[in-house]
Amino acid sequence: MSAVITTALIGILMATAILYLVRRDHLHGSYALWWLAVAAAALLLGIFPQTIDWLGRITGIAYAPVLPIIFGLGMILLRMLKMDIDRSRSERQLRRLTQKLGILEEELAQTREVLKLQPSAETTASRTKTAQIIPLSKSGDA
Amino acid sequence: MRKKNDNNQRLLAIIPARNEAATVGEIVRRVRAAVGSAILVVNDASSDDTSAQARLAGACVIDLPSQLGAWGAAQTGLRYAKRNRFTAALTLDADGQHHPEELPTLLDGWRRSGANVAIGTFPQRLSLAKRLAWRYFRLLTGIGVQDFTSGLRVYDRNAIRVLASRQASLFDYQDLGVLMLLRKKGLDLHEVPTVMSPRRSGGSRVFSSWPMVARYMLHTTVLCFAQFGVRGRFAQARAGTHA
Repeated sequence: MSAVITTALIGILMATAILYLVRRDHLHGSYALWWLAVAAAALLLGIFPQTIDWLGRITGIAYAPVLPIIFGLGMILLRMLKMDIDRSRSERQLRRLTQKLGILEEELAQTREVLKLQPSAETTASRTKTAQIIPLSKSGDA
Repeated sequence: MRKKNDNNQRLLAIIPARNEAATVGEIVRRVRAAVGSAILVVNDASSDDTSAQARLAGACVIDLPSQLGAWGAAQTGLRYAKRNRFTAALTLDADGQHHPEELPTLLDGWRRSGANVAIGTFPQRLSLAKRLAWRYFRLLTGIGVQDFTSGLRVYDRNAIRVLASRQASLFDYQDLGVLMLLRKKGLDLHEVPTVMSPRRSGGSRVFSSWPMVARYMLHTTVLCFAQFGVRGRFAQARAGTHA
């Protein structure tokens, strides 16, 4: 009986830890769903470890305990692949944003230059106010 | 996709620069004297005063807030060219290995060939390692260019459009990946022999050490395999190169 208690404890611990972290709302949409599914699986397998034996009989695998290991490893690999794909996408996004920021800063500087060159007559006092030159710090910490 | 042979091209010279304060000003002045085009220096988050030197020499300067690498900086220039409706863009390195005086020859060869892209190469400067590497990549890709990493290039409007796209944003160097993308889009290349000098400061970014070479070869081979679906255009690209 103690083996069942151990697995149940492990399952419950894992599920609560995941639930707690997901509840803290640091995860983005579909990731939360994925981890909730993992938590549910941990809970289920922890409390009812005989599920694995049953799965082993159905699939015809003699040594049933390797089933969750193989399945888990496969899921981890898939998950990592998805992570790398996501990272590549954010890298692309980050590069393009950096480029756009550089281009826009240059255009902003040129626009300011043009505005500065315009004669600021007293009649356009309100306009010169909107076109005030705000010095930008050179250190690009954006 | 042949471009019209017109003389009222709006040409932008793009000079990606990282910590090249010693040479960038001189290069900008020499480019202006040689081709008289608009000049854009893309400062790839330098820690020296590359940006100030380039501005002093009269170039338009884009300061990237974080380092994007050689291709990231060059692509910034191409996106700027597209945004400001330039019809042609040329790129050259800021370290003085490309002579701005060779630019008219390159532009001339490019116009006469009618190709979308011209690459200025200097086969004599290649080391044995590079020669072997390029032979391998020529075999793998069928792109018959002598020097894949030469940053001395001219792009027409179509090439600018292709290379400014999101698809081209994950390349690291201005080399094979860029050429393969151009070929995939049906653009043709032309090679123009030019004179170059060895780099004055620092070595090649790619061919600095053997582990780097191995990494580069592996990386590029994978890139080639990712592009394998487009073998059909090999003959075309080759014909364009030797035209």
